[in-house]
Amino acid sequence: MMMPLRSHTADRARAGRAAVLAGAGCWLPPGVVTNADLAARLDTSDEWIRSRTGIASRHIAGPGTATSDLAVEAGRRALKSSGDSQVDAVVLATTTPDRLCPATAPEIASRLGLSGCAAFDVAAVCTGFLYGLATAAGLIAAGTADRVLLIGADTYSTIIDPEDRTTSVIFADGAGAVVLRAGTPDEQGAIGPVVLGSDGEHAELIQIPAGGARQRSSGLPPEPGDEFFHMRGRETYRCAVEWLVASSRAAVEAAGWRIGDVDRVVAHQANARILDAVAERLGLPCERHLSNIERVGNTGAASIPVLLAEASQAGELRPGQRVLLTAFGGGLTWGAATLVWPELDPS
Amino acid sequence: MFDTLKDILVKKLKVTPGQVTPDASREDIELDSLAVVELSMVLEQELGIVISDNELIDVPTVGDIARLMEERSAKI
Repeated sequence: MMMPLRSHTADRARAGRAAVLAGAGCWLPPGVVTNADLAARLDTSDEWIRSRTGIASRHIAGPGTATSDLAVEAGRRALKSSGDSQVDAVVLATTTPDRLCPATAPEIASRLGLSGCAAFDVAAVCTGFLYGLATAAGLIAAGTADRVLLIGADTYSTIIDPEDRTTSVIFADGAGAVVLRAGTPDEQGAIGPVVLGSDGEHAELIQIPAGGARQRSSGLPPEPGDEFFHMRGRETYRCAVEWLVASSRAAVEAAGWRIGDVDRVVAHQANARILDAVAERLGLPCERHLSNIERVGNTGAASIPVLLAEASQAGELRPGQRVLLTAFGGGLTWGAATLVWPELDPS
Repeated sequence: MFDTLKDILVKKLKVTPGQVTPDASREDIELDSLAVVELSMVLEQELGIVISDNELIDVPTVGDIARLMEERSAKI
């Protein structure tokens, strides 16, 4: 079947175009794994996990459920919340695509009845949602799209070594999505300047060593365990705290705000200890920091949009509040952005 | 320097004041691996003393950490 090509003429007003948040939704797979479940098969305990991560339980996709399955559910809810089922582009931020090739976003788009629209994946690990946000805002600002569905989805359960007690207690599965529409910078919901950065000198801190071109080009079989996700915890903690704080300050400054102006911080739910350290350094009262890590763990690229959707539904994000988004992930990558929370329909 | 370290351990790392003695080990004051990184970061940010978390993990007692801080600050 021939897909219609979308044409966008240059006479669209580009100046003053902003990406405006128009909908949000999330989906967590129904399977829940508690700390007691993990302690039954690993050398760990509820107390150990809680004190080091702040996590009590997490959602895990069952056998046969892949990233696109979660992403479609979250995407459907975000579209419904936006009041319009059509978009011009689908952007998926993920570390766990359904296949190494092709991207997962086109399949998601088709399953949402959006065949023909632009669709691609963004790879920035746990910062993926913010990289995707900058990408989506750019598509809108350039006139390439009027409406974008941005999904963050990960099934970490497919890449975690079940015997690794450090990563298997932290990482989990989930999907969150937002719809962005063309609007003006002074509207509620307009995405402020997005601050992004990276440091590839520390690429090995967070990685899956095998399966990519580097390992395959060696001509050697992968080392045992190299097909799993690896993270060096202590170095990651230091880099995460430093860059979450620095990118937060930079995004707030770029928006013309001061840190004290921020009503709600929605940070990537990496680890409660990292979040506490960032909160202390930013100097904002704890009630301004939203968190769901105790119940959902670290869901990678899904972390921020899941928290946004849940907090919006629960009334913890209210229209007019100044919101700071900030994330850090493998790459290394980091990013932050601001917006004034708009009126959204529950998904 | 011991008092400075004790102040940081109590105020920044939430260690119970009574536990912080020169002979206390990392386990005695319940300083886990992430807390060691946090201590390393606070020492650098607040005092300008650079001691890596790898070094801190190898130091047996709180008193030994204070002595290492004195050595490092003397070089600044």
